[in-house]
Amino acid sequence: MTKQTQKTASVSRQMLRRGAVLAAVFGVGAFAVLLARLYKLQITDHTFYENLAISQQLREAPGTAARGRIYDRNGNVLAVSATVDNVYLSPAEIEANGEDRELIARGLSEILGLDYDELYEKTGRKGSWYVTAARKIEADKAAEIRRFKTENHISGVRLEPDTRRYYPNGRLACHLLGFVGTDNYGLEGIEARYDDALSGTAGRSLRATNAYGGEMLLRRYEEYRPGEDGQDLFTTIDASIQYYVEKHLRQAVLDYDALNGAGAIAMDVNTGAILAMASLGDYDPNHFLAVSPEAQIAVDAAATKEEAAALLAQAQARQWRNKALSDTYEPGSTFKIITLAMALEEGKTGLGDSFYCGGSTTVQGRTNPIRCWKSGGHGSQTLTQAVQHSCNVAFVNIGQRVGAERFYDYCEAFGFLKLSDDPDANLTARTGIDLSGESGSIWWSRNTFCSKKNLSQLAAASFGQTFTITPLQLVTAVSACVNGGRLMEPYVVQRLVEPDGSVSFEHEPKLVRRVISESTSRKVREILEQVVGDPNDGTGRNAAVPGYRIGGKTGTSEKVSLEARTGQKEYIVSFIGVAPADDPKIALLVFLDTPSDKSGVYVSGGQMAAPVVGRMLADILPYLGVEPTGSDNGGAVMPACTGLDLPQAAEKLKEAGLRYRTIGGGSAVTDQLPAAGTVLAEGTEVILYFDAEISPDLESLPELTGLNYEQARDTLSYYGLYLTTRSSVTDPARQTVGAQSFPAGTELRHGSVVEVTLIDSDEELLGRY
Amino acid sequence: MRYDSARLAGLPDAETDARRPVFDGPFFVLSMLLLLAGVLMVLSASYPRAWYDPGHVTGGNAAYYFVRQLVFALLGVAAMLIASRVPMGLYRRWAFPFLALTLVLLMLVPLVGVKANGSRRWLGVGGLTLQPSELAKLAVILSFSALVCRYRGKMRSIRYGILPFAGILGAIIGLLVLEPHFSASVIILAIGAVMLFLGGVRLFWFAGAFGAAGAGIAVLLTFFPYASSRINSWRDPFSDSSDQGYQIVQSLYTIGSGGLSGLGLGGSRQKFLYLPEEHNDFIFSIVCEELGYIGAALILCLFALLILRGWWIAFHCRDRFSFLVVGGVTSLLAIQVFLNVAVVTNLVPCTGISLPMFSYGGTALLIQLFELGIVLSASRDIPVH
Repeated sequence: MTKQTQKTASVSRQMLRRGAVLAAVFGVGAFAVLLARLYKLQITDHTFYENLAISQQLREAPGTAARGRIYDRNGNVLAVSATVDNVYLSPAEIEANGEDRELIARGLSEILGLDYDELYEKTGRKGSWYVTAARKIEADKAAEIRRFKTENHISGVRLEPDTRRYYPNGRLACHLLGFVGTDNYGLEGIEARYDDALSGTAGRSLRATNAYGGEMLLRRYEEYRPGEDGQDLFTTIDASIQYYVEKHLRQAVLDYDALNGAGAIAMDVNTGAILAMASLGDYDPNHFLAVSPEAQIAVDAAATKEEAAALLAQAQARQWRNKALSDTYEPGSTFKIITLAMALEEGKTGLGDSFYCGGSTTVQGRTNPIRCWKSGGHGSQTLTQAVQHSCNVAFVNIGQRVGAERFYDYCEAFGFLKLSDDPDANLTARTGIDLSGESGSIWWSRNTFCSKKNLSQLAAASFGQTFTITPLQLVTAVSACVNGGRLMEPYVVQRLVEPDGSVSFEHEPKLVRRVISESTSRKVREILEQVVGDPNDGTGRNAAVPGYRIGGKTGTSEKVSLEARTGQKEYIVSFIGVAPADDPKIALLVFLDTPSDKSGVYVSGGQMAAPVVGRMLADILPYLGVEPTGSDNGGAVMPACTGLDLPQAAEKLKEAGLRYRTIGGGSAVTDQLPAAGTVLAEGTEVILYFDAEISPDLESLPELTGLNYEQARDTLSYYGLYLTTRSSVTDPARQTVGAQSFPAGTELRHGSVVEVTLIDSDEELLGRY
Repeated sequence: MRYDSARLAGLPDAETDARRPVFDGPFFVLSMLLLLAGVLMVLSASYPRAWYDPGHVTGGNAAYYFVRQLVFALLGVAAMLIASRVPMGLYRRWAFPFLALTLVLLMLVPLVGVKANGSRRWLGVGGLTLQPSELAKLAVILSFSALVCRYRGKMRSIRYGILPFAGILGAIIGLLVLEPHFSASVIILAIGAVMLFLGGVRLFWFAGAFGAAGAGIAVLLTFFPYASSRINSWRDPFSDSSDQGYQIVQSLYTIGSGGLSGLGLGGSRQKFLYLPEEHNDFIFSIVCEELGYIGAALILCLFALLILRGWWIAFHCRDRFSFLVVGGVTSLLAIQVFLNVAVVTNLVPCTGISLPMFSYGGTALLIQLFELGIVLSASRDIPVH
């Protein structure tokens, strides 16, 4: 302004002022704002952002801890894990590298048998680095994928190791074992309960990666946190016993058309170890989501998707349910063992006692009289006979002698309920077995049960009604009754073994309490043996196994609540056997839920469940090495005769209760039919060979049904075939063959044993006991 | 080696002023320090992307971006030194031809420009690309300075103080809208406002202009469809952190990870393809991650010192044109630095503004260094006391 002569004007004061303002704003103010903002982000919120950044930069490779194996008590593998691969796609890399999506989708769909369109869609997911294509594929498929990747230079398809659980025995013990989900967590059974021990701790490898999952150049960071393999688990289960139990139980469900399946428990009475536990319907834990063909048909027929999903979930829940552990039921007459034991222990009854049954008895507080299953009554009977007959009237009497208060105390002692300070509490109890999903019993409160005005609860409880318990509770309590009086805590896991072989856990049999004395227990055993062993009076005689001493008790319980709801009568029939009766090793309970009377067999524990227990024990006892004791159950054991001369052999056979014929003309027995140790019907004619050979010809099996027992026996021995039965032989002349193990016309080798089922024509003994 | 600026500018010189043999030392040293830091950071930030080469650009050569940036930095320093030798009068004389050239280039962009990410902002010549909008910034500074000098005393009037300037800005912004190029429009409007403010336009115009700018932004948000979605991802980037908010969220991770002292030079983890544009618009985030708050603050202080030194030079200019050009270049630098750092720290909505001396981009760096060279040229006219 001042020097107008200059063409280039000097800077005005206003300009300088305004420049100073801008210098302050741009040179100081703006930077103050930025520094404050950076302070907030880098200092105040540093940890927040750092954690987020690290979590996206570090990739955690899945752990490699091997899941422990599950073994049976003899070291047979029940569950084992193997390494498999998961296949995943990295669409971001596919896009970045310009890889051919169609080629990838086609290749994978061919190798894995997956839908092409779905795979193609997955390869195009924008911005994703991890899309699962297939889970748990086997090694050969994984190798094919690796080859496919190499041949086509594909990096957007990746494999990551995973493990898969295999159950080599399929359905065997499925409810005990449970199964493992896709994420390798145990979901049911032992797999769930012992998941921590079995799974170990997975090792983790942390790796810093670039945004596409590749290496970070120069900034390589890898950390391996070693894991620990899972522990091996040895169960108390015996795979062979489990197999026998399941085989016969499955057959029983088919034979008797048991609508709601069945269950069975075999327990070592002295330790509480579970030797077998089965539940039907079952499933294959290798494919635990697959349901039975019938259920699948129902699912497929569903009208809507939701309905189908609901039906499927329902069918799965039903097949996964361990009935032996999770169902509760009224035990019915099997509970009389408990009533008997407490009455004997209290000295309220004895072997010399006698009871009169007129067919019914009245109880204070109850309008209708309690009826015995035999409408005419059992008349006068000893204590043993009362148990043999499963006489309700006698047991109401026995229960009343014990008294409600003591009865209640014993039920607690046997583990059916847990006493509480509150006399009005409805009580429950569990055995405490080391399995998940155990249900609890449902009992009356003490005040209700012990009401002086109303004795009906006590009366009904004496023969096992008006309360519910689990099958496992009954087996545990009955084991205590026969093992000398010790209530043991049941268990299925014997030991856990670390990967290095050291034992980290060993189960010691756990005595809960002593309930009854040794001498009482002996009396109970003697009486129970008569229930099975007496071919005339014993309601459990169908459980008899020739050559073995077996005790047991039948049970037939009506589903009361169901009848109240629908008016429909449904039953749970059961039988609990103990063997050998003189020195019990095993208690075996079988229950069939809602069998059908259309099978032709009368719906009762004695007719349906007892034969099943008999068949199981016939397999189990020889397996356990229990020596057969001879003929007192109508069976004869073939002795070894080879090498003997005729008089010696004849003497032996006579002792065994067998007849013989000879073939050949030598001086010593060179061979025999059948083999030594075969259990035969008494009076069977066996063949001794003297310098002769057993004919290699096959014999065609004749038709046996309709023949009586003796006729069948003799017909077979004519052909060089032999008869055995697990039905109890009460009257060889009147019992007829109802079924034979091979159909008529089957070609059999000489010496083969044919098993028959006898039809009981003794109407007197049919009854719901 | 002495130039007679008055003679070269074709103007009579009353004081027979002689230019100093050396330019302003502090300004040059600060520039060089920042350039050195910038080129190093390009190396550090860019090598992972260059190595992995997800976009099939570099052929896996880790030094690809660095070498190019280094070449342009050296060319830029040469351009700066040459610019520092050119007398200020020459800039004034060539201001309008330069503006005309810029407008022609801007008009060419929509016709033959290189398209990328939905916008056409670049002109390609051989292997080089040039954003004419970078030239436009300098053109505005030079032409406005020249006009202010020509209309001195009349700047308070509408006819001289507003209309010619508004005309130039309108033409440039109109052409940028065609590209479209939102961030360049903002910067050019801002630098235009700075020039008018320094030039003596009455303050109430600015009040009006701010109102108009507010309305303009509202219009722009509807004009530029991508702009409004950026507003949303600015307000809450985490709500959409995998898509719209991805870039800014990654930038916050990057900056926040640095903490007080950083992961060390070269130690960034976010540059491994997590942070997009890590060697470009978001290079300052990597600076924060590697050098921490201390290092980032140091870099910002260097910028602040450079800017303050620029104003110091401006205040010592004897001549109005030089004052305006130096003030303009310094302000442009400050505006770009502020907006870039404000964007990467999510202080303002995300838009593509490069950081002078740091962001990868050859021709832009060349032009920036040339502009600083003009400041150095002006510094040579400061009389020795």
